[in-house]
Amino acid sequence: MTQDAEMKELPAPLSSSSSSVSPSTIQNLKEIVSLIETGAYAREVRRIVRAIRLTMALRRKLKASVLSQFLNLVLPTGSEVHTRLSSFLPKEDDCEMDVDTATQAPAKHHLPEIEIFCYLIVLIFLIDHKKYGDAKACASASIARLKNLNRRTVDVLASRLYFYYSLSYELTGDLAEIRGNLLALHRIATLRHDELGQETLLNLLLRNYLHYNLYDQAEKLRSKAPRFEGHSNQQFCRYLFYLGKIRTIQLEYTDAKGSLLQAAGKAPIAALGFRVQCNKWAIIVRLLLGEIPERTVFMQKHMEKALRPYFELTNAVRIGDLELFKIVAERFSSTFSSDRTNNLIVRLRHNVIRTGLRNISISYSRISLADVAQKLRLDSANPIADAESIVSKAIRDGAIDATVDHANGWMVSKETGDIYSTNEPQAAFNSRIAFCLNTHNEAVRALRFPPNSHKEKESAEKRRERQQQEQELAKHIAEEDDDDF
Amino acid sequence: MDPKLTEVSQHFERFKAALVRHDYDSCDNLLSQLKVFLTGFRSLPPLFEDTPNAVEELTIARNIYEHAVLLSVKVEDQGAFERDFFQLKPYYTDAHNRLPPSPQEYPILGLNLLRLLVQNRIAEFHTELELLSPSALENPCIKHAVELEQSFMEGAYNRVLSARQTVPHETYGYFMDLLAKTFSFILYAFSAISRDEIAGCSEKAYDYLSINDACQMLLFSSDQELLDYVKEEHPEWEVTNGNVYFQKAKESGPCKEIPSLQLINQTLSYARELERIV
Repeated sequence: MTQDAEMKELPAPLSSSSSSVSPSTIQNLKEIVSLIETGAYAREVRRIVRAIRLTMALRRKLKASVLSQFLNLVLPTGSEVHTRLSSFLPKEDDCEMDVDTATQAPAKHHLPEIEIFCYLIVLIFLIDHKKYGDAKACASASIARLKNLNRRTVDVLASRLYFYYSLSYELTGDLAEIRGNLLALHRIATLRHDELGQETLLNLLLRNYLHYNLYDQAEKLRSKAPRFEGHSNQQFCRYLFYLGKIRTIQLEYTDAKGSLLQAAGKAPIAALGFRVQCNKWAIIVRLLLGEIPERTVFMQKHMEKALRPYFELTNAVRIGDLELFKIVAERFSSTFSSDRTNNLIVRLRHNVIRTGLRNISISYSRISLADVAQKLRLDSANPIADAESIVSKAIRDGAIDATVDHANGWMVSKETGDIYSTNEPQAAFNSRIAFCLNTHNEAVRALRFPPNSHKEKESAEKRRERQQQEQELAKHIAEEDDDDF
Repeated sequence: MDPKLTEVSQHFERFKAALVRHDYDSCDNLLSQLKVFLTGFRSLPPLFEDTPNAVEELTIARNIYEHAVLLSVKVEDQGAFERDFFQLKPYYTDAHNRLPPSPQEYPILGLNLLRLLVQNRIAEFHTELELLSPSALENPCIKHAVELEQSFMEGAYNRVLSARQTVPHETYGYFMDLLAKTFSFILYAFSAISRDEIAGCSEKAYDYLSINDACQMLLFSSDQELLDYVKEEHPEWEVTNGNVYFQKAKESGPCKEIPSLQLINQTLSYARELERIV
């Protein structure tokens, strides 16, 4: 289950802003810190989001020496956080600081945002270097600290920490341990109106449940938890994916298909693993619905190999050959069981029979039930009786249009009527129009406008005035907030 | 041994004796007392405290709930079955690293699957199925239920009915002497469901059936039973000349009328949406 790990971050498009002379990593980190600082003082969550995005671009360049240097720089030496975080980093003897850092002598103010950011960056470093034991300890320490912080500007950083917290436990296979903790964090996030945190934690909980196939609990939580859209595209994609999985298991295939396809479509291009998973599930759900996915689905870039077993499976269903279906299911059983789709594939048997039957019904106007049984390769004690009841159920469910003549033991297909004399085309047309309109509406809703972009540029003086006012207002609100608690 | 534990096991012995005697009233009483006793043990779910007697306590509690499930099947109380099963479940899922597995685990899980099938709760059936390991799916008790569901979905009802004879008796082992009748009860419920399904299918699939064939298909032993059933459940079927005609129940030909109201609504909604775009 690596799909989410791969989906973690988009490559940051903003990194170019500071790359003209390719400054050192430490320089970059400092820039990020100053971004966080301004964000924290001005209470602008947007800046912190950008800081995180920049951090992710730096991720591969992080080294233990750089990190310890960075910690020395921003955290007061001797403070609890500093000693704790430093203990996670391997010791390297380059104790002399760069000239660059020594000259600046930064003020060691203690913003909680910076502290949390340090936790985050150390945690990412530990996970990237596969020190999962340390990562777990670091994550737990950070979560304990987070519980006592109630600042809106921390929320963004916190939601990231939650994610890595869960990831570090998942990598060591102890996901069940933190379930109670996650639930508690979710409760805290709800009480603090931290919507991003709620969204993240809900997904982590769903992932946690689904990891152990606890679909029942997952669905109960999902249906009761409040839900927000539009805070984070990644979180929304994940939510849709989990939702799709739950609905598939609970046989609500139409809804499941909707969520899975939407998840696959919304996921960023870079999140290949995630999109492959979405596609796998979507293919099975479509097969279960009696649809045959188009060949282009299997030909998507970089996905051919991963989707190969599912392609073979689709082929077997399309032909309606039970024998071939069995062979495919056995040949790729290891893939299917690692994807945990084995049980779904067992369900598909029924669809294979249906398709086979539909093919027979189209090609023959009259055929004996014995032949039907033979063609479907029903291997049972009494194939004709089986075939008869299977055919009659297919007729009842509307899969084929035919009648059975019991006395003579044959199945008579009815003439297929002209589809254009019915309301069918109208309905199909309507559903497509509805889909397009819906897409358009969602696109409009998803548009973001930078604040005040429509106004004329204000003079410097006016701006200062306004900012002052805003800050005062914010201070008032913050004070009121404090009173509330 | 802990005095409380001794007391519980004595009670439990009495309960088992009553179960063998088919004395269900005293079973019920003893069971309620037992459940109250169990609340005193702190090692049981959801607390799972590590007390010195944890293993014994968990074992006996699991045993008690297994028998409670059994009892509810015997007295055909589906509500009680569900409650007892859910109380039993944590012992299988969450306590498996504290306890040796119970020999009755798979039969009970199989029973639960059958129950969900009988109640036509297919979604829950599949949710339960996801929780089972691949090795569990190989167990005859579970496999039996899974195959039943498949036949059911395909419409191979005669296979469902023949499953009555192929209940994996021996695997239910110790339970079997207690369960012999139960199974036929559950599967009887199955044949009732199947019958309705078959009737529904036949009505669509056949123009007519001879009474003999219909009897055979709908599992009636005599013509009279069939006639009663038709009268009660499907008064629209017509029985003449030794044949059952379903023709009447069929819908009339395709409707040629234009669904104008619906069309107007659709067109108006398009207009509204377009206006919003432009």
